[in-house]
Amino acid sequence: MSDRLENDPETAQAFLPDFCATTTVLVVLVVAELVAIVLTIAAWDGSASFLVALSKTSLFLIWTALLGSALLCQLKGRLEAAGPTAAFAWSYGILLTMTLVVAEIAFQLTRVFGQSVIIVESHGEFLVRTVAIAAIVIALLMRYLYVASEWRRSIVLEAQARISALQALIRPHFLFNSMNTIASLTRSDPRQAEEAVEDLSDLLRASLSTNKDLSSLKEEFEIAAIYHRIEKLRLGDRLEVRWNIDSLPMRALIPSLTLQPLLENAIYHGIERLEGGGTVEVDGRRDDDSLAISISNPVPAGAPGKLDGNKMALANIRQRFDLAYGSDADVSVDEEDDQYRVTLRFPLGAGA
Amino acid sequence: MMRVIVVDDEEPARERLRQMLDDIDDYECAGVAANGEEALELAVSEQPDIMLLDIRMPGLSGLEVAHHLNSLPESPAVVFTTAYDEHAIEAFEARAVGYILKPVRKSRLEGALRQAARLAPARLADIGDAAGLDEPRAHLCARRQGELRLIPVDDIHYLEADQKYVSVHHANGEDLIDESLKSLEAEFAQRFVRIHRSVLVALPSIDRIERDAEGRTRVILRNDSQDGGKPLIISRRHVADVKRRLQHGS
Repeated sequence: MSDRLENDPETAQAFLPDFCATTTVLVVLVVAELVAIVLTIAAWDGSASFLVALSKTSLFLIWTALLGSALLCQLKGRLEAAGPTAAFAWSYGILLTMTLVVAEIAFQLTRVFGQSVIIVESHGEFLVRTVAIAAIVIALLMRYLYVASEWRRSIVLEAQARISALQALIRPHFLFNSMNTIASLTRSDPRQAEEAVEDLSDLLRASLSTNKDLSSLKEEFEIAAIYHRIEKLRLGDRLEVRWNIDSLPMRALIPSLTLQPLLENAIYHGIERLEGGGTVEVDGRRDDDSLAISISNPVPAGAPGKLDGNKMALANIRQRFDLAYGSDADVSVDEEDDQYRVTLRFPLGAGA
Repeated sequence: MMRVIVVDDEEPARERLRQMLDDIDDYECAGVAANGEEALELAVSEQPDIMLLDIRMPGLSGLEVAHHLNSLPESPAVVFTTAYDEHAIEAFEARAVGYILKPVRKSRLEGALRQAARLAPARLADIGDAAGLDEPRAHLCARRQGELRLIPVDDIHYLEADQKYVSVHHANGEDLIDESLKSLEAEFAQRFVRIHRSVLVALPSIDRIERDAEGRTRVILRNDSQDGGKPLIISRRHVADVKRRLQHGS
């Protein structure tokens, strides 16, 4: 099952454990058998044969476990559609109801077949006891399966986030325009062309170092500055960037390659679309134990344009801040008629 | 000697194309423009044979410039340039429209210049659709005494079909353009409503609707416009539609 989970993004998005998978069913059966052993040991008073008692309890529990898995396997699609909380509540309810039904059937069967299988208590007591045990065991089991699948899911998401961070960094548009600028400078200003090639190499190298989740602010701002230099060659006076970041502790950590894509968005969706260009403002602020970095840029008034690429980069950055800081981080967007601002807020100190 | 004008909002890109043209026999650079409006001015004053148009420019896009060039009696042939735009490239390929990719290769530029062709409006609209660049234009382009004039669509009060031409009534007067009312209606459906077989009115310019002494429904234009207070008759079959559009405030 783990292979399936890791390779299939659809499954990775699911939050309910996959009860159609053999590994999950095996876990369920093992747990059912362990519970049967515990119950038999607890109830054994030395009078009857232990193995006979165990096999009777096992028979009942394994039937319940298999039926439950089959039911959830069938209903998975519909349950997932209801959203995480509702899906878990429904699964839990369905399993308990099913346990009750199986218990009732078992009780009726002992009446029909009489002496060989004996349930000593009254009808009501038997049902209540069974459902109570089931309520606890099923809750524990589902919790375990949920945590296990969450863990696998976070691995998949992290891998996806890293890949899309790569793609976000080097937009083809930027790469080819830079190449064109360099081709032009090769004739008119070879020294500057040389610098541009060096800058572009540094940027590509940074984007290829995938082994790092977090970078220092110093490294992140260096990459953003290199990117700014390359774009400045192309856009000339149309592009200004104002860095108000002196109050930031440069050794603080931030998810790698998150500032440069935001600067790129500000240029691609804002400055580049304005005939007179404009100024990108990068502001950094420290509040006690958290940092706030905002990047704002002018946009053409009344022209929201097509921001698909922008949304993708933003979603990616959100995801990575989520992975690193959970709910302690916040990525927010302020959109005004002619101004666009993204603000990153995240805790100071060790992330991840 | 064929005369070429280079249009690109980025200085290094313009410079490179200009230098490459110097290296190619039979073609010369007759001027460079940093935006669409400059490009249209140069097109009139220099009467080039070919224009190299960057697709992605602030203000007037390359496609818009190409569209407006058709208002000229001798419109130049057009070759588009782009660094990367998947959809536009697919559209050019499918319609055999000349384009070159940046960074430009000299041999590719020569080939594109030799095959450069004039583009009819219908073909441009088609490319705009296919490339997902079919946002309505921000300007209409009129020719007046040999000059191209850009009329901001926001300034237009109403459009009136007048035999072969459409007359554009806008904040600064009236101009004739060589386009069909039908295609204008389709392009600017958001802003204009048809009130008559031959008239489109800008919704923001409408002050109110009223009945005149003869019982005909008519539109009264807003006072702040030059045509302020002017009544325009709504034909019977469009009355319901005009009222609906006004109520929805769009």
